[in-house]
Amino acid sequence: MSVKQPADKSQFLLPDLGEGVHEAELIRWRVKPGEMVKEHQILAEMETDKALVEVPSPWAGTIRELHGKEGEICIVGKVLVSYEVGARAAAASAPAPRAAAKEAARVEVREPARAPAKDAAKEEDAGTVVGTMSGQLSIAERFGRRQESAAAPARKALATPAVRRIARELGVDINRVAPTGRGGRVTAGDVQSAADRGGRGDARQDARGRDRGAVAEGFSPKSVPIPADRPPADADGVVERIPFRGVRRKIAQALDLSIKTAVHFTVVEEIDVTDLLAKRSEYARVLGRKLSLLPFVMFAVCRGLRKHPELNAVVDDPGEAILRKGPVNLGCAVDTEHGLMVPVIRDADRLAPVELSEAVRRLAEGCRSRTVAREELMGGSFTVSNVGSHGGMFATPIINYPEVAILGLGRSRERVLVKGGRFYAGTVLPVSLSCDHRVVDGAAGASFLATLQSLLEDPEKLLGG
Amino acid sequence: MPIRTAFKTEIEHVSILDEHGQFDAKLGAGLIPDGDVVRLYEHMSICRHLDEVAFKLQRSGRMGTYPQNMGQEATSLGAAYALDKTDWMVPCYRENCGLFWRGLPMEYVLLHWMGDERGNAIPRELFCMPLAIPIGTQMLHAAGLAWAAKYRGEKQIACTFFGDGATSEGDFHEAMNFAANLDLPVVFLCQNNSWAISVPGKIQCSAPTIAQRGLAYGMHSVQCDGNDVFAMVKVVRDAAKRAREEHRPSFIEAVTYRLGDHTTADDARRYRDQAEVELWKTRDPLIRVRSFLKERKLWNDSKEAELRERAEREVSAAVQRAEGIEAPSSNDVFDHTYATLDPQLLTQRETLRTNSLGQESGRRPSHAQSGGAH
Repeated sequence: MSVKQPADKSQFLLPDLGEGVHEAELIRWRVKPGEMVKEHQILAEMETDKALVEVPSPWAGTIRELHGKEGEICIVGKVLVSYEVGARAAAASAPAPRAAAKEAARVEVREPARAPAKDAAKEEDAGTVVGTMSGQLSIAERFGRRQESAAAPARKALATPAVRRIARELGVDINRVAPTGRGGRVTAGDVQSAADRGGRGDARQDARGRDRGAVAEGFSPKSVPIPADRPPADADGVVERIPFRGVRRKIAQALDLSIKTAVHFTVVEEIDVTDLLAKRSEYARVLGRKLSLLPFVMFAVCRGLRKHPELNAVVDDPGEAILRKGPVNLGCAVDTEHGLMVPVIRDADRLAPVELSEAVRRLAEGCRSRTVAREELMGGSFTVSNVGSHGGMFATPIINYPEVAILGLGRSRERVLVKGGRFYAGTVLPVSLSCDHRVVDGAAGASFLATLQSLLEDPEKLLGG
Repeated sequence: MPIRTAFKTEIEHVSILDEHGQFDAKLGAGLIPDGDVVRLYEHMSICRHLDEVAFKLQRSGRMGTYPQNMGQEATSLGAAYALDKTDWMVPCYRENCGLFWRGLPMEYVLLHWMGDERGNAIPRELFCMPLAIPIGTQMLHAAGLAWAAKYRGEKQIACTFFGDGATSEGDFHEAMNFAANLDLPVVFLCQNNSWAISVPGKIQCSAPTIAQRGLAYGMHSVQCDGNDVFAMVKVVRDAAKRAREEHRPSFIEAVTYRLGDHTTADDARRYRDQAEVELWKTRDPLIRVRSFLKERKLWNDSKEAELRERAEREVSAAVQRAEGIEAPSSNDVFDHTYATLDPQLLTQRETLRTNSLGQESGRRPSHAQSGGAH
């Protein structure tokens, strides 16, 4: 998408920062209103769905206003930064109070846009380009130079024939009407507003000014006496409005798709991990470092999936097929400050518990520092989520679609247990398995859990054989 | 019958000025006169500056997608230096430095990435083809150009550039096969920069060198340090001689590294280890030539400062020329590819000029009218 910048350099519209990018999240401003910037100086850091990028200024000038707050999504083609133009640009060293400056700028743009005086000598000084360029090869010599008119902007309006006709009938110069339509098209409404204003081309500034005013005026929430120990909230009780952005937004989209597509059911089980915990302590002693239960459960999951291959699969909904997977690519939900991420351990069924523990640690670190590769977040065939690390017993985990099953681990706790008619004290791990009922029937889900239970309750069987 | 060896070979790796600044005096003797080394260095520096500016032009919406050349300057420059002025240079899209050495004004490359056809209207006298974006097409063009030169009995050869990824394309193998079996004067120059966008070299070529692919077609194949302008000049000069005198094609694997992203639409941090990038920064082709020149008292800090200024001046003048050109016309799409337009294309050109797309022009142009080749 190509964005045409206004010829008078009064506004910098957000360009396509990648290739087919339509929006970008504003991460950080690097300039302030009133600041003089050089050509190529970085204005802001923005994040597209492809990359974190720095956005440079396309020209030298003085910043009048920054449009957008950090954390907001900016749309390609909309104003990102406005600049002082004409006489104001020169006298910008002492910026007026904000409101006054805005008003002044609004008046000013009605004057014919004055192109900054060009140093003719400088423009002629093409220098000696590297290599052996001769004058005849210069593109200017071969294809001519743009005729720059001092008064009117050189922009040729994009509009449908119908809109052009309306403009002709209303006596409006369509090339001077500010477009608000898709892809920078002048709409019938734009032409009408321009005509109402006297047929000259100030539509953009006025329309923008009015919009901005409306937002500011209509947005004064009633002040209500609030207890001092409570943060101030608006009439709806909203304390903070957190935009749905970044990782949070991705999580929301993925979960939404999952719950609307997969038919969830959940089976739960309590697993006696008393013996496994003893075994784990043995491992930890030999290794000389802490070891959680998670890698042992993962190891058991891989063994269980070998026996119940219908759970190690993904659904190809468009192709109406179930794709059973050979290797177990085990997703592992990781809590980060940005939100939940699910890195994938490739060929987890080929790894021993200690290696699984290493892999979890490495991927979790990668997620938290956001250095994890995109590929490492894709291609899972089954997911384990350790929800119990924060508490809670059972859960109804949401499947990491298009996978067909997910295992949630609760918090293990000591319990009085009964075996062969006798009480004993042991530790129980509550687990919850959600499956996509379209693919996995209740019996299959339950018997996978039974397999898992028999493996985890008998460490010799799990780790020996 | 005992088992005998049917074929045995080795691949040579040529390095003359290495990343530590070590210069092989024997191999390098008389290869490039001192004055030219200075010019080559200046050239690489200006090209590097253009790269930085072009990147920012894209980010501020003044240019479309752009692939940075950063780190690979020596490869195409060494080749361009070694070729004759009338040899064909058939580039991919990371050969700015070589193209500029041949005399192509920088604004052509800028206009190309601004989506302006006039940037592809390379002046004929430069014997350079326009940048080739679809991976692999240009190698066949080079084979064709060389075949034409041979057919006409001219001493011209063709040198074509492509990346490691292109050697996995069918077109590459067709071009190699034709060139080898028809004895065509082509130099196939592979810029092995380790990454085909996000695909590392390791997983798309199982052989230890890409040069072996040339060997398989029965052509002379060599590997060299692509960040060493001296090595580039030597291997391309040898290959050009072989092409000119024996009509034999050669394959060169120039080992280099893409220091930037694949293009401005890519973020290599997502798939590439930063430690690898840092290592290759120490192998930058500019650093070693600068220290070579300083050691020989051919360069100093004040010359460096002057060069910096010159680079800024020349690049900004090129940007002004690219942006200041008259608005493009729809005719540009037609006017620079064929010497003479056929009647159908003439009709299309006229239709596009006078009507909205898809509508038939009321007036058919005269067949006698021809498209001007600039």
